[in-house]
Amino acid sequence: MAGTVLAPAPPAPGPGTPAASQGRLRRVLSERRTRFGLLNAAPVVVYLLVLFVYPIFSTLLLSLKGADGGWTLHWYANALQGSNLKVLLTTLRISAETSLLSLVIGFMLAAAVSRLKPLWAGLVMIIVIVPHFISALVRTYGWIILLGEHGVINNALTDLDVPGAPFQMLYNELGVVIGTTSVMLPYTVLLLYAVMKGIDRRLPAAAASMGAGRLTIFRRVYLPMVAPGLVNAGILSFILCLGYYLTPALMGGPKQTMVASLISEQVMKQSQWNGAAALGIILLFLTFAGLLLLRLIKVVGEAAKNRGTS
Amino acid sequence: MIALRSTLTGRIVLAVLSTLVLLFLALPIVLIVVTSFGSDAFGSFPPDSWTLSWYEQLFADGSKWPAALSLSALVASLTTVFSLVLGMTAATALVRSKLPLRSAVYGLVLAPLVIPQVVIALGLFLLFEPAAMLGSPIALALGHTVLASPIAVMILMATLQGIDERLEDAAASMGAGRLTVARRITLPLAMPGMIAAAIFSFITSFDEFFISMFLSSVDTTTLPVQMFNVLQFDVDPSVTAVSALLIAIAVVALVLVAVVRRLGGSGKQEGLLPTEPAMGLSAGSEAS
Repeated sequence: MAGTVLAPAPPAPGPGTPAASQGRLRRVLSERRTRFGLLNAAPVVVYLLVLFVYPIFSTLLLSLKGADGGWTLHWYANALQGSNLKVLLTTLRISAETSLLSLVIGFMLAAAVSRLKPLWAGLVMIIVIVPHFISALVRTYGWIILLGEHGVINNALTDLDVPGAPFQMLYNELGVVIGTTSVMLPYTVLLLYAVMKGIDRRLPAAAASMGAGRLTIFRRVYLPMVAPGLVNAGILSFILCLGYYLTPALMGGPKQTMVASLISEQVMKQSQWNGAAALGIILLFLTFAGLLLLRLIKVVGEAAKNRGTS
Repeated sequence: MIALRSTLTGRIVLAVLSTLVLLFLALPIVLIVVTSFGSDAFGSFPPDSWTLSWYEQLFADGSKWPAALSLSALVASLTTVFSLVLGMTAATALVRSKLPLRSAVYGLVLAPLVIPQVVIALGLFLLFEPAAMLGSPIALALGHTVLASPIAVMILMATLQGIDERLEDAAASMGAGRLTVARRITLPLAMPGMIAAAIFSFITSFDEFFISMFLSSVDTTTLPVQMFNVLQFDVDPSVTAVSALLIAIAVVALVLVAVVRRLGGSGKQEGLLPTEPAMGLSAGSEAS
């Protein structure tokens, strides 16, 4: 934060501890505290190792196991060709479309909310947050009765004699992107709103006072300040989309099959566990790549900021 | 802004667009609630006439919904207990003690929020299938706890951070043992946070779909799985009624959390809700 440079120095961390006896006491205390910490951390760590890490690890092993019991990359080769590869590319495409759309819409809404008075901003954020806590299945169902061939929108358009109505808005990519975007939108709005609220409003004002035009201020002052938030929100919603199942499965057609659907089909209908495991690990790998990218951008951004302030 | 007054057109455009976005978020939900009371199932909005028959159908003889509802409630209750225990101990370890590898533990706890659910579900399937535990409420609850516990940990960490540690120290200095301090000082002060954590754990499990689908058997399905199975074939007015019920439960839960937090006097913290998963995600990426 550039603002902290001007902030008063934090108070000194208490009086020094000269006495050796006090040091020893502190060490004993810290050991006690360490034991206490380990004891309390144990349940969750054990739990997650057994029910989270181990299952993923066994998925990894399964994806590498051949029919004859030896090690093989056969399942990965299988996952990366033909119709499986197509599903993978579809997943990447729909995730990109969705995260881009929710980024644009989320940016707009967050920008508008950050200018509102606190009371109104609170009310708007309730409308953003409450849907987030309502089952995605329910919201998807809402979209289905809204967008269906005899759904609310098409019926209204037909009544108004709009040429071309009813439109096909379900069981195609349009439906999937609309539905998934509405699920991802709260994330992007929340992340962007947090960033925008933290922006020092005096900076755009200062730029204006020095004669910068509206567009210049937006491009040169505002955008660089919210850029980290934009990247963060974009990558996060992309990652969350990659493994998303519900909305694409219910609102998409055969051309919108995503990896999660393929995996569940291979497990439930074809008992093709190894192939499903390989697809899952590929998904995991893509997620890690995205998280790594987030981390990298953050480190680079901080380095740039440090250069800028020093 | 001081020097940067937005133009009138700019403000109008932004207001209209924002209203559209809010409609985009709220419309599907409002539609379900209204349609669930309409006599003609779907398609016309607002409905021509009103009825409660879809709700009556849910509980009619031979309906599959009550069984699914009670399984979901059972699983959600178990999940709540599991994730409260894990959440309270983990939050204590992360906030109130010196923990070696603290950031690793924190990263592990939050990891389930960013790992694709299909991967978690597949892993759990591979774990429980050989044990012949598919469809068992315990297996479902153990699976849901993987997703619910990170949320509980985040809420309870915030709660513990908000409690003045000197109160605990004071009690301890006057001779209270560790258990007494926990029971008489920490627990009462942490109660609003624990209730919030319990409510969010319950809702997380109650609405959870993907892990349930992998861990369900043919004759034991949770409410969301049952809904999905029906929806795959057709839109069904009884699903509208179930959806409206789920909306009502979520809204009631959120109101409850808000009330508890207000009564608990933690009004200092910003916002209506303790933690948003989105915020947790960004925190998770920071901690890893």
